[in-house]
Amino acid sequence: MNKTRSFIFVLAALVLFLSGCAGFQTSSNNEEANKEENTEGKTVIDFWTFWGSEIRRPIIEKMIADFNESQDEIEVKHTYLPFGDIWTKELAAIAAGDPPDVVINDINATALRGQKEQAMNLSQFLEQDDISNRFYPELWDATLYEGDSYGVPFNTDTRVLFYNKDAFEEVGLDPENPPTTWAELEEYAAKLDKKSGDNYDRIGFYPLWGVGYDVWLLNANGQNYFDEQNNFQIDTAKNEEVLNWLKSFKDRYGEDVINSYQAQIDSQQGHPFFSGDLAMIVQQPTFYTQIRDYAQDLNFGVVELPEYEEGNGHTSWGGGFVAEIPAGAKNPEASWEFIKYLTDVEAQTYWAVQNFDNVANIEAAESAAESTEFTEDGTMVYQKAVENMEHTLLTPVPVIAPDFSSFINPNMDEFFLGSMTAKEALEKSQTDVENLIKKNQ
Amino acid sequence: MGKKRLTMRRKESIYGYIFVLPWIIGFLAFTAGPLVFSFAASFTNYNITSQMDFVGGENYQGLFTEDSLFWTSLWNTLYFVAFSVPLTTLGAIFLSALLNQDIPGIRFFRTLYYLPAVLSGVGVYMLWMQLLDPGTGMVNLVLSWFGIDGPNWLFDPDWTKPSLIFMKLWSVGGSMLLYLASMQGVSKNLYEAAEIDGANTWRKFFHITIPMITPVIFFDVVTSLIGGFQIFQEAYVMSNNGEGGPANSLLFYNLYMWKQAFTNFNMGYAMAMSWILFVIVFFLTIINLKLAPRWVHYEGEEK
Repeated sequence: MNKTRSFIFVLAALVLFLSGCAGFQTSSNNEEANKEENTEGKTVIDFWTFWGSEIRRPIIEKMIADFNESQDEIEVKHTYLPFGDIWTKELAAIAAGDPPDVVINDINATALRGQKEQAMNLSQFLEQDDISNRFYPELWDATLYEGDSYGVPFNTDTRVLFYNKDAFEEVGLDPENPPTTWAELEEYAAKLDKKSGDNYDRIGFYPLWGVGYDVWLLNANGQNYFDEQNNFQIDTAKNEEVLNWLKSFKDRYGEDVINSYQAQIDSQQGHPFFSGDLAMIVQQPTFYTQIRDYAQDLNFGVVELPEYEEGNGHTSWGGGFVAEIPAGAKNPEASWEFIKYLTDVEAQTYWAVQNFDNVANIEAAESAAESTEFTEDGTMVYQKAVENMEHTLLTPVPVIAPDFSSFINPNMDEFFLGSMTAKEALEKSQTDVENLIKKNQ
Repeated sequence: MGKKRLTMRRKESIYGYIFVLPWIIGFLAFTAGPLVFSFAASFTNYNITSQMDFVGGENYQGLFTEDSLFWTSLWNTLYFVAFSVPLTTLGAIFLSALLNQDIPGIRFFRTLYYLPAVLSGVGVYMLWMQLLDPGTGMVNLVLSWFGIDGPNWLFDPDWTKPSLIFMKLWSVGGSMLLYLASMQGVSKNLYEAAEIDGANTWRKFFHITIPMITPVIFFDVVTSLIGGFQIFQEAYVMSNNGEGGPANSLLFYNLYMWKQAFTNFNMGYAMAMSWILFVIVFFLTIINLKLAPRWVHYEGEEK
């Protein structure tokens, strides 16, 4: 009697304990088992992306299916993880020694991940198979740490100026001649303003919607804060002038007007550019898809960013994502084969056309620009986006001070709120970042 | 046979251990293990993937002497705790006193005030971002009916932390429930005796209700103090890009720690930060426990 009881106790405890373990199993195991039969003999690789939306997921899964059908050595399995989780999960998986085989990651911190040995050094593959000239050089350079690449550029973006042609016409500006310099931008903005009493029926232009102050600094300087030797330079007379110029727009329209427009933009219902209440805005080319969906009748044009002064260059800003192999991945050769496919002309063109997204592969970008699947407006925007890549700079984070922007942004906030002058904000940023670099050295 | 028969007592204690075994294993593997590891790693330059070299007290020294953001984040967190803990405690007591009345429809109001505690997370923060919008938000709209020109809430560094405290006050329903339960447990005899002695409502509240619920107040203060120091999500969701802006006014301790760990990959440094926070919270809790006998009254306690 006693024995049976103790046996039951132990059994109960064991069952309780083991049932707890079941919690660790992922629900995807069942799917895996179903697929198992036709993956025999193949190398199965796990591909992590954050593309789970109803638009993007079918596109990436079609690309994967095409790859799986095109050969019988490798079977790629797609795992979707939300944008907020994917890279912390990846990091944990790398630390645990069981990483995915290919991951989509942020291009700007690729060198940092290379330095920390989170991503695999790709030079072993590139020596045999140099694909670097497929991509825009600016993108490729962002993947390098000490001369070696740690990720392959997948997609990218840029910033262009959208303007309302009807509004231009209404105030007597030539809709085919959008502003090309900051002076013109300011002049046109003033002309496009439509005021009734204290309120604005239409705002010509506000530089800090769509982009931040940093894009304007980049545009004016034609280069990043850090030079190749990692010297940091922000406290310059030119930057002071740029900041004051940006703030002059805020002072002209007034805090309340800016805030209420900002709220409309943030709420993503009734964007003032769609309703004609805002005549010009700097945005990514993909902004076009919103115009296409919500403001079909809008008569708009798109142009590169105006330049600081004539001859200064229409420098714009971009980012993007790379496909990389996490350190410790089990089948790097298979991962590399898949990455090669993913960044080759065919897959990249498909992605570009279906998503209306800038891609890293030059040939694919150019062939997408010729695509017959776009409407007339679509083609116009896409061609401008591709052209704009030559003006587009990336701002990869320097490995010496990856969080440098935490030491600049707060000062800029204070400046735009009026509690610091431009000079003070720039001086403080300069010292703070220099201290950070010194501390990290 | 050299086998000794186990006594009943020993057997029972073995059964006991078997039953708590899942918890013990879980505790060792998922709490104590990481705790010890993070303490050890806080003296290294651990970056999760490639390095873990002993650097002595360099992380701690760097935090105290060279890192201005560390002090900013500590100040922000202390500010938040110093205001949110007393205010939410008072708010919850006040609310539960109101909801402890015997009037028709009181269940409806209790449910209503408890609802925010059920809703939680990112959805609520998004909702509050809309409510607190300076131009179009409901809060400023209501203020404007009374002729008050509302502040810029989440866009003005002086108002961001008050905004969060304000938001926290809205969701005191959780602790309100604790107070309400404990208020209803107060013996009616005490009130009747006080009434006979001629005590008015206020005196009854301050001399009977409050002393009788001090154990719950104590519990609430300790837990919300610890919770307050861990504020993270609110700032991560409600500031632009999760940066803790404007002007670093929402850069709370845990947000900065998270950034060091997962965007700069300075895991050793972040672990050092977590131990400093642990020490701070530990001392505050000790002080709380030491002060408790002076004001917390347990029923049936020998005096």
